[in-house]
Amino acid sequence: MPLNPFFLHGSPDEQRLVQSLIDEHLQMFGQEIHYIPRKLITTDDVLGEVQSSKFNDNFAMEAYLNNYEGYAKGSDIMTKFGINLQNELTLTISRERYEDLIAPFIFNSTNLQGAEDGDVVFSTRPKEGDLIWFPLGERLFEIKHVEFENPFYQLGKNYIYELQCELFRLEDEIIDTNIPAIDERLSEEGYITTVTVAGIGSTSTAVVDGFALTGALQEVFVNDDGYGYTSAPIVTVSRSPAGVTSALGAVVAFTTSIGNLQAVDFVAIGNPGFAYTEPPSFTFGGPGAGAAATASLTNSGITSIRITQPGFNYASPPTITIQHPSEVGIGTTGAVVGIKTGQVQATARGVLQGDVLKNILILNAGSGYEGTPTVTISGPLNAGVGTYFGNERVVGSISGTEGYVKKWDLTNRKLQISINTGAFLPGEFITGTASSARYQVFSYSDTDTAPYADDYFSNDEIEAEADDLLDFSETNPFGTF
Amino acid sequence: MLGTYFYHEVLRKTVVAFGTLFNDIHIQHEDRQGGVISDTKVPLAYGPRSKFLAKIRQQQELAKAVAITLPRMSFEMTGLEYDSSRKTSVTRTFKAVDDGDNVKKVFLPVPYNVRFELNILCKLNEDALQIVEQILPFFQPSFNVTIDLIDSIGEKRDIPVVLENISFTDEYEGDFSTRRVLTYTLNFTAKTYLFGPIAESTDGLIRKVQIDYYADTDRQTAKREMRYTVTPDPSNADPEDDFGFNEVTEMFGDAKTYSPTRQQDV
Repeated sequence: MPLNPFFLHGSPDEQRLVQSLIDEHLQMFGQEIHYIPRKLITTDDVLGEVQSSKFNDNFAMEAYLNNYEGYAKGSDIMTKFGINLQNELTLTISRERYEDLIAPFIFNSTNLQGAEDGDVVFSTRPKEGDLIWFPLGERLFEIKHVEFENPFYQLGKNYIYELQCELFRLEDEIIDTNIPAIDERLSEEGYITTVTVAGIGSTSTAVVDGFALTGALQEVFVNDDGYGYTSAPIVTVSRSPAGVTSALGAVVAFTTSIGNLQAVDFVAIGNPGFAYTEPPSFTFGGPGAGAAATASLTNSGITSIRITQPGFNYASPPTITIQHPSEVGIGTTGAVVGIKTGQVQATARGVLQGDVLKNILILNAGSGYEGTPTVTISGPLNAGVGTYFGNERVVGSISGTEGYVKKWDLTNRKLQISINTGAFLPGEFITGTASSARYQVFSYSDTDTAPYADDYFSNDEIEAEADDLLDFSETNPFGTF
Repeated sequence: MLGTYFYHEVLRKTVVAFGTLFNDIHIQHEDRQGGVISDTKVPLAYGPRSKFLAKIRQQQELAKAVAITLPRMSFEMTGLEYDSSRKTSVTRTFKAVDDGDNVKKVFLPVPYNVRFELNILCKLNEDALQIVEQILPFFQPSFNVTIDLIDSIGEKRDIPVVLENISFTDEYEGDFSTRRVLTYTLNFTAKTYLFGPIAESTDGLIRKVQIDYYADTDRQTAKREMRYTVTPDPSNADPEDDFGFNEVTEMFGDAKTYSPTRQQDV
């Protein structure tokens, strides 16, 4: 036996006493921190990185503020990437308190390789990469090194962990601690997108102003959709034999695109004109070329639709339904004549300005109208119900896009969402998976438009200025903004 | 000597045009089943800025909860140099029409190369690779953007943006007191043109050409006898229009001659 058996280097009782004294000291002079363990979602074993993590547990415990030299002058740095805070601190926690109060609750798998979604790698000691919520200044620190041998084996044992921490660099980690002070503070951090949800809207109304003018345009047929129409061309209609301005037909072209090809989609009628003895000719302006169209004429179609109430809160043009000629009452009696040969129901399309119905264009003026049909316009978006919870997952009904709620502002109808899987589409419903709150999307912005947004996010401003001076006659290969 | 005020914002426009190439880049993270769990538009900003403005805008609350949000991209203009390979004659001018009918006289622009640096700061190497891979294929080694450099004369120029080199640092070695910093730096050159002052030309648009013919070479005594006049058809045609000409030939026997100052026959 190499050591003298009559001298002990610390008995279990002595070690127990020292540990108790340290614990008591920490509880008297420490700070109440929250230990937030990292759970792994995805790891890249080739590049050796954890790509996605979540932090949805927390454990309150005492920690002694050992060193705050990392708060010294010069810890806020101006970089190429904006302001980078480099505060650091060193905390001392009790080894026993960690092993008794935290480790048993976060025990899961024991190695990175076998870890499943949301698993903790191991729990026997504090880990680098875990987070500490530090109450002074309400800051989130990441443990970068755990020192376990300082002081060095007093009475043959170590009693504390020294956690060297630095301010957390946030990316798309899910941090949902259920502690309001923490979650509220972090609701303003990260890259946040904004969904404006629909409010209470008003349905548009319209009436047919006139019908049955002789030689009016009934429908315009696009024979050749042309190419290169990056914007809607101006279409000129040949003169009417009547010679007056109101007799001249007016049409509006709409374009469509597939990939990099832009062409005329359809041509709608703004004014069907009258007194045409044969279908007029159409001349398409720039920027494209090659489009051509013909038209049919009618003597008994509708000629004008007037909006009486523009309504509001429309995210997309509403559906416009015009009565079938056979359903229209005639004269003072209002008796319905019924179905006759050659009757064609008129169709129309609405044009929005913002969220308001600005104009109704005729797609087919119809035929066989002997009286004034009624116009029915579909309603605007639904107002929605419920209150979204902070940090709950929300799902778009059409896009399938998911995200986590940062803030819900019912007054301004703004839903701040982070960690999105894509873009939310106007008109779809966003449903909270926990709250079941459900609202219809009016608009979506993927730039950081929150009031507390990071000023560093200049993508939108750059795009707005570039729109005035860049000429992407074809398309922007880096994507349309 | 140089004191004619002008500012075409050519360099600013070049900065904006360069920035807009990179303002819609996304990165995605996937779960183990391959489903997308986050799609982030990478923020972009012009790096240099007023320090006080950066402070009050980015750090409204002095004690921010986190250090920084990543990933980020920043770009900045790092240099300007004359490009002698694109040099043109210094005395040559060209004429352009402004929005109205006025003719402007412009000296040929001076070719300058603007150096840009695009920096990418990421938390993960995977993020940096995603960003860089979305950029590099478009530069072989240049990518052309058409910029309306001088709006008043509609001067659009193709500006090649050349990717010069790429470097990156991944500081992962050392003790655990320092954090890993992962930065990619892409250096570009935009071959732009700088224009001098644009002068009002003393010339107007030529809308009428008139030639008088004389029967004698003695201009003191000779009177014009025939006049050939050409005007565009239509008379209000713009230079870019596809227009024709009206030609008129007149014979005179009134022993008069044309006075250019009075613009009539006297």
